[in-house]
Amino acid sequence: MRLEMGHIHIKDIRFSEESKIVDGVLFVCEDEIRKIVLEDEKIKSVTFDIAKPGESTRITPVKDVIEPRVKVEGRGGIFPGVIAKVDTVGSGKTYALKGMAVVTAGRIVGFQEGIIDMSGPGADYTPFSKLINFVMVCEPEEGIEPHHYEQAVRLAGFRVAVRLGELAKELTPDETKVYETCGIKEGIEKYPDLPRVAYVHMLQSQGLLHDTYVYGVDAKKSLTTMMSPTEIMDGAIVSGNCVSACDKNTTYHHLNNPVIHDLFEEHGKTLNFVCHILTNENVYLADKMRSSDWTAKLCRMLDLDGVIVSQEGFGNPDTDLIMNCKKIEAEGVKTVIITDEYAGRDGKSQSLADADVAADAVVTGGNANQLIRLPKLDKVIGTLDYVTKIAGSSADAIMDDGSYEVELQVITGATNEMGFNCLSAR
Amino acid sequence: MKGLIITNNPIVSEKFGNEYRVEYVDQSFEDLLARVRDFVHKGYVILTHPLSGSIKPKETPYKSVLLSEVPLLTGVEGESLKLIENSIIKAKAFEDKTNNLSESVLNDFRLIDLSLLESAL
Repeated sequence: MRLEMGHIHIKDIRFSEESKIVDGVLFVCEDEIRKIVLEDEKIKSVTFDIAKPGESTRITPVKDVIEPRVKVEGRGGIFPGVIAKVDTVGSGKTYALKGMAVVTAGRIVGFQEGIIDMSGPGADYTPFSKLINFVMVCEPEEGIEPHHYEQAVRLAGFRVAVRLGELAKELTPDETKVYETCGIKEGIEKYPDLPRVAYVHMLQSQGLLHDTYVYGVDAKKSLTTMMSPTEIMDGAIVSGNCVSACDKNTTYHHLNNPVIHDLFEEHGKTLNFVCHILTNENVYLADKMRSSDWTAKLCRMLDLDGVIVSQEGFGNPDTDLIMNCKKIEAEGVKTVIITDEYAGRDGKSQSLADADVAADAVVTGGNANQLIRLPKLDKVIGTLDYVTKIAGSSADAIMDDGSYEVELQVITGATNEMGFNCLSAR
Repeated sequence: MKGLIITNNPIVSEKFGNEYRVEYVDQSFEDLLARVRDFVHKGYVILTHPLSGSIKPKETPYKSVLLSEVPLLTGVEGESLKLIENSIIKAKAFEDKTNNLSESVLNDFRLIDLSLLESAL
């Protein structure tokens, strides 16, 4: 499968009478976008704001972050099975608006979390502080159940991102990258001496507000399966996960999955990137056994030499991670796993809820319990009502000078388990 | 599939009390895990992960764990014991943040715990 990705660099976002992109500036007509959001009767109101890197602005609580994209050539559309009709995506030509994101914010449930600081020490911990963010703060109609409202905001974010992406359809991209993988036999013939490597992507799938969708299918209801690595770039996987800000994979993370991009960088040079394997993280232990059995079985059937396994979340998924690692290694396929740690505020506790000797190549995204102090910022988009209630924070988190002492957990993307962040021991 | 539910979540107890054997314990998150371990020592098998959900231990006060309906005749099941011991170690590493939670937040936590359990039933 071959996908050409065109990048349109967005240098600024401004409100305007008409939505358009001119010379790298995205003009957004608020009334037009508001209508798109309010198509769903579960959403009572929405306000829009723009947050730029370096500003004294805090966005919270953040639900999802989405990069606008548009399908220019080839089958299907962006977010197949969710916004576009079901059709196999990942080939042809797609444009992405780089340097910006759509951020959905506002209360979903009472403890919902997620902070993006656009400047100060908090900004260093989130990749989204480097983007120009078009923020939608939504309010639900009275009496809507949290999970129905989550779905409404999730879909509204995708509709807006798709509309903004469509503005780029007739433009000429600033740069173009080509991603191409081959069939099994073709790959063996083309790269006979290169190790065969796949990516095992574990999807959050525990239940209410902890879900991920593949072509619109709830991942918890699927057996382990596989895709071509370019399909995810057209939005084949979207996030419905609202919990654990630091290590939840937003839709932006899925669209720009760094493991897939890095494997493509090495494809045909040091390795043969065979495929993208998707598995889940269910609560029922028999599901874990079944899914990890299937993951290991697929790795063996594909005659892989190695896999990279990424996780999403804490606790329960640690068990899936270790099961996958153990069983894949037992098939003679080498593994590298990517996770993050909850090692206590002093960093001295056991990092994961499970372990095994087979897990001897581990990359960590950082210690989510690490304390940091976030200074008071001038502007808040969303509400601070929940900052003391979100994970990693506490009632005594507010200091006399208006700053917050919180765990890294509260910052969106801080310890991402795809390795999308920049925490380092160096 | 039927089983034994150990829970400190009143809405789980209410909803499944007739259908399942429910052991309702009005205790903390950590005490509940210790209670699960007691059952594992009697030979019960854990069927759902004790650290399900991304809301961390002691950030939510509620937890429900599904176990086998009856204990194994062969005694303690090793995997279940390892799982609950690891879960207890992990839970200890977290600070308790459940004081002063508002009723609406507690309500959301009860609902999420219920749905995590339901996803396995």
